Amino acid sequence: MLRLDGIEAGYGAKTVISGVSFALEPGQILAFLGHNGAGKTTTLKAAMGLLPLRAGQVSFDDQRIDRLSVADRVALGLRLLPEGRGIFPDLSVAENIEVVAARNAGANAMFSPDDVFKLFPVLEERRATRAGSMSGGQQQMLALSLAILGTPRCLMLDEPSIGLAPNLVERMFEQVRQVCKSHAMTAVLVEQNVAAALKIADRVAIMNNGQIVFDGSPDEARASNVWHYF
Amino acid sequence: MLALQLLCNGIVTGCALGVVAISFSFVYTTTKIFHVAHAGVYTLGGYIAWWLVKRGVPFVGAVALAVVVCVAMGALIQSQLYAQLERRRETHLVVLIASLGTLAVMQNVIAAVFTPNILRFDLPWASQVVHLGGNVRLTWAQMLTVVVSLAAFAGLLWFAHRTLLGKRIRAVASNPFLAEITRLEPRTAHLYVMMVASAVVCLPGVMVPLDFGLQPYNGVTPLLTATIAMIAGGVGSITGAFVMAVVIAELQNLSLLFIPGEWSIGITFFIFVIFMLFRPTGLFAAGR
Ligand SMILES: Nc1ncnc2c1ncn2[C@@H]1O[C@H](COP(=O)(O)OP(=O)(O)OP(=O)(O)O)[C@@H](O)[C@H]1O
Ligand SMILES: [Mg+2]
Repeated sequence: MLRLDGIEAGYGAKTVISGVSFALEPGQILAFLGHNGAGKTTTLKAAMGLLPLRAGQVSFDDQRIDRLSVADRVALGLRLLPEGRGIFPDLSVAENIEVVAARNAGANAMFSPDDVFKLFPVLEERRATRAGSMSGGQQQMLALSLAILGTPRCLMLDEPSIGLAPNLVERMFEQVRQVCKSHAMTAVLVEQNVAAALKIADRVAIMNNGQIVFDGSPDEARASNVWHYF
Repeated sequence: MLALQLLCNGIVTGCALGVVAISFSFVYTTTKIFHVAHAGVYTLGGYIAWWLVKRGVPFVGAVALAVVVCVAMGALIQSQLYAQLERRRETHLVVLIASLGTLAVMQNVIAAVFTPNILRFDLPWASQVVHLGGNVRLTWAQMLTVVVSLAAFAGLLWFAHRTLLGKRIRAVASNPFLAEITRLEPRTAHLYVMMVASAVVCLPGVMVPLDFGLQPYNGVTPLLTATIAMIAGGVGSITGAFVMAVVIAELQNLSLLFIPGEWSIGITFFIFVIFMLFRPTGLFAAGR
């Protein structure tokens, strides 16, 4: 489904990630872990087309997409929940969902506004609330809703659990897992909450200083001595 | 009742300024461009309407055509100037200077094509005086200015909050990065914003000269006052910008009771400084 081949990217003169490769099967959940500043967000941005590639390839369904615009990649179903700023704070909850649905969720969409309201009933109660004035956890639920509205096929979640209470994290991740399994949707989950991420992951990749230093199953990850990378 | 007359004059000026302020604010909030050339679009609208009226086009038709020309001008400035600069990732300062340059060119072209001298609309009805109660006299042009300005204010609020395009534009203003990755196409939204704002600013651009006549450099003072109204009203608030424009115009007018007219720009800046000192986020700032 999503495949990165030796990608390299950075900011200005600085190269931040290099030789990053992984390939995901439909329905697979990858926990993408690493210390602060390792280059996880940079990797997701490069896959999304928000940062130019300096080397390597990005493919989606065996098609190269690294020349496509961000909007075209989104249209294919590559979706990103960005780190810390996944909502339109000055709009109401209903308006947030309306504007994103209007551009992404057609008649045959996997997730319509009604579907996300069913997934997160609290958003339905908060329809008229200014999104930026909700609690951190409610904002993250809205951010996840915006990321899945329409027909996502590969969902990249950059630290979705920030600001969520521990039991909420588990519930939200469980929902992500069910959605992925029932819709053959792939997910890349960047997380600081390693334990919660490993619970739902099929695979683990660990990044250290811009390179992938481990790629394997959660059990292998637990058994090996990769944790000194954090 | 001089005070009452000044109060009414203040409402007229304030409403026209308010429309300049809300349209400027709409652009600034969404694109973060300090669109000084907006003053040029404002001036252009007046001249186009004047030219059409002189050719015998009925006033309403002249205004409508002037709006169309202003929309085209706004689209041109956005697509040929601002969008290009944004693609090259130029700084805000470069964009501001480009905008100032555009304003200068527009003023010079207008002065060359028409004349640098004052031009007046040949519309007898506009300067006919209506006697309101309490010895207050307003011209039809002034009455029309108030009505049209309030309609434009309500119209822009309705557009921004009730239409899908308006909501999309507010979303782009609220989080441009997220807008990019949810396919809201910020650049297209910026183009629409510029077109809408140019249409809106054309209205005071035609109404105000009905009373005061046209001059190529007339747009600058209203724009300056409008930016102050935007900042004092709270960047991002359409209502704040409009209300503050009316307040500033009232204070300017009522100050005439006590101090000479040359001080009115000084009054404006005095208000500005007071706000910067005591409420730098503006009166109607959205809570963050
Ligand atoms: N916009 C930027 N401009 C310049 N350097 C940047 C920028 N964003 C990130 N970097 C640098 O790139 C490196 C990797 O950052 P990145 O955000 O990808 O890390 P991360 O793994 O997502 O970390 P975190 O867990 O803290 O989110 C860091 O050294 C950071 O300083
Ligand atoms: Mg990060």
